[in-house]
Amino acid sequence: MTSLSSSAAAARATFMPSSCRSRPAGGGRMARLVTRAAASSPKLPSGRRLRVAVVGGGPAGGAAAEALAKGGVETVLIERKLDNCKPCGGAIPLCMVSEFDLPLDLIDRKVRKMKMISPSNVAVDIGGTLAPHEYIGMVRREVLDAYLRSRAEGAGAQVVNGLFLRYEAPKEPNGSYVVHYNHYDSSSGKAGGEKRTFEVDAIVGADGANSRVAKDMGAGDYEYAIAFQERVKIPDDKMKYYEERAEMYVGDDVSPDFYGWVFPKCDHVAVGTGTVTHKPDIKKFQAATRLRAKDRIEGGKIIRVEAHPIPEHPRPKRVAGRVTLVGDAAGYVTKCSGEGIYFAAKSGLMCAEAIVAGSANGTRMVEESDLRKYLAEFDRLYWPTYKVLDVLQKVFYRSNAAREAFVEMCADDYVQKMTFDSYLYKRVVPGNPLDDIKLAVNTIGSLVRATALRREMEKVTL
Amino acid sequence: MAMATSTFSPPASQLALRRQPGAAGRYHLLSFPRLRAGLRLARAAAGEAPVEAVEAPSKQVVEQPLSSPAASNGTAVKAKEPEPAPLPRFRDSRWVNGTWDLKQFQKGGAVDWDAVIDAEARRRKWLEDCPEATSPDEAVVFDTSIIPWWAWMKRFHLPEAEKLNGRAAMIGFFMAYFVDSLTGVGLVDQMGNFFCKTLLFVAVAGVLLVRKNEDIETVKKLIDETTFYDKQWQATWQDESPPESKK
Repeated sequence: MTSLSSSAAAARATFMPSSCRSRPAGGGRMARLVTRAAASSPKLPSGRRLRVAVVGGGPAGGAAAEALAKGGVETVLIERKLDNCKPCGGAIPLCMVSEFDLPLDLIDRKVRKMKMISPSNVAVDIGGTLAPHEYIGMVRREVLDAYLRSRAEGAGAQVVNGLFLRYEAPKEPNGSYVVHYNHYDSSSGKAGGEKRTFEVDAIVGADGANSRVAKDMGAGDYEYAIAFQERVKIPDDKMKYYEERAEMYVGDDVSPDFYGWVFPKCDHVAVGTGTVTHKPDIKKFQAATRLRAKDRIEGGKIIRVEAHPIPEHPRPKRVAGRVTLVGDAAGYVTKCSGEGIYFAAKSGLMCAEAIVAGSANGTRMVEESDLRKYLAEFDRLYWPTYKVLDVLQKVFYRSNAAREAFVEMCADDYVQKMTFDSYLYKRVVPGNPLDDIKLAVNTIGSLVRATALRREMEKVTL
Repeated sequence: MAMATSTFSPPASQLALRRQPGAAGRYHLLSFPRLRAGLRLARAAAGEAPVEAVEAPSKQVVEQPLSSPAASNGTAVKAKEPEPAPLPRFRDSRWVNGTWDLKQFQKGGAVDWDAVIDAEARRRKWLEDCPEATSPDEAVVFDTSIIPWWAWMKRFHLPEAEKLNGRAAMIGFFMAYFVDSLTGVGLVDQMGNFFCKTLLFVAVAGVLLVRKNEDIETVKKLIDETTFYDKQWQATWQDESPPESKK
């Protein structure tokens, strides 16, 4: 036991939270931490493998389960609805296709052109700077999720159809967690499913924005946006317009703090909007979005209406004991664009890798410190991306004037290139400093002009 | 001259959609009388480009109270129509192919940029009150950067420049006196000192950014905002070192 506490203390002492962002020579330090804890945590009794429960079978859960199973960990993936059509924009960046080896037939559409439309209908086309092999992939969530789960199963994970109810923390330091769930089995004939339990050593909460794992571990709450979407089947000639094009509408009428969108799916479009601060008015915002796109979706039939919460920032606590959160459950959705699929899958993967490393391929017990390593690595890798998008949202989604300036800025080639580079490859690459200065000057100019016009607008009505 | 004496007002039902967006952007919920016919006349009288309503005028004419254009601002708001009529699209004879036709803004041989700014402000106000469907054939491509910087400067900064320069001069004089009386360093020597130069920079920035009392609150809120997101991300590390209680 003393070796355990000393290793934990050693891990804690050498790891400092602030260093996860400002990293002068941090790389070497991270590498050293990974091996030390694994060597000193106790070996599992009677040579059994580490058991981990992954709660939730979306991109985060599927990616985590696959990596865990590949790493030699005994994995159980619990998913409550195996054919779930999660309401989602469905856009994935290029790096996800390569990092997760996704087959190209998962992608329904490759969006290469985006239209940004300002409150006064100034329309700017972006995507001219994209190389021919670059695109934003539009997927159907039911297809993507099922594929990742099947890969996890193929790697050795056990996929269980059930609803996670709660878990019990272990009584002794190296004890097991007891997971309670409702097992659904069509063959048994029981309608509601039967209550079952099983024991695991660690739990990965990948159960989305309304995570029960997060509730059980006391992770705290986050602010969330409501995203509301209608799937509309439009006539073929109108669908041609959306062949490779997605649209983004900004304006107070469409959303006070988010944007409205028209995204192409396999044979229909998804028209939607979202908001954090004015949730009761979401239907009005949706009507306004439909109005703005009226000519282009005229004659369309609404085939499905869906809504879902989207977290705005990470939960206050993302790990407790040997339970951790990934994906939407942790709150890894970017501001400004509301992107979550890639970060869900990547966080699931990174969490699994940390568990595999910390348990020396499933032979040793993991610790909270191993899970914190995944948090540190994820924060270090993606903090710049999140921060930049947060700044963009704060600056450009403030008011209609700011949104007009935003759309004006998007017309600039340099802006388009930087935006797409950072979106498609998840790198915040500082470009040429001279171009950056020019960009800063142009941004300030746009904002000043839009604000000046705004003041004129206030005089106009009276 | 350029400002509309009475503006064309979109249907009152649209205004129900308006909401206060946040710290910036004060939007007034104004009630508009629905006097399209009357306003059209007032417009023509003022010599401005007439705005045509696209929807069936007959429906409107039946509902219009027969008040004179001059009394338009004071009349009561009409009750909502039982079924919303198709909304009037923004129309202006100078708005051609999704941008302002600068040739129509000529005044004495040169482009009257003030009129362009006014026209664009009116257009944006119109669309804010009465959002329109976009159409691929009539794409809006107007970019405000075609209006030269000096036009913006002349119109928006110069009226305030006198006030700001006055403030800067007053602050400068008294700070120079104050520092001199405290430290004995004269004005010329103050200019050579790095700390004094920093204070000068802060004073100039302050005069430019803080123009009303409310701006001080805005600046404070902005400073909080810039670090709020960081705090949310670091929350999970707060409970690593016990026993610090942090939400």
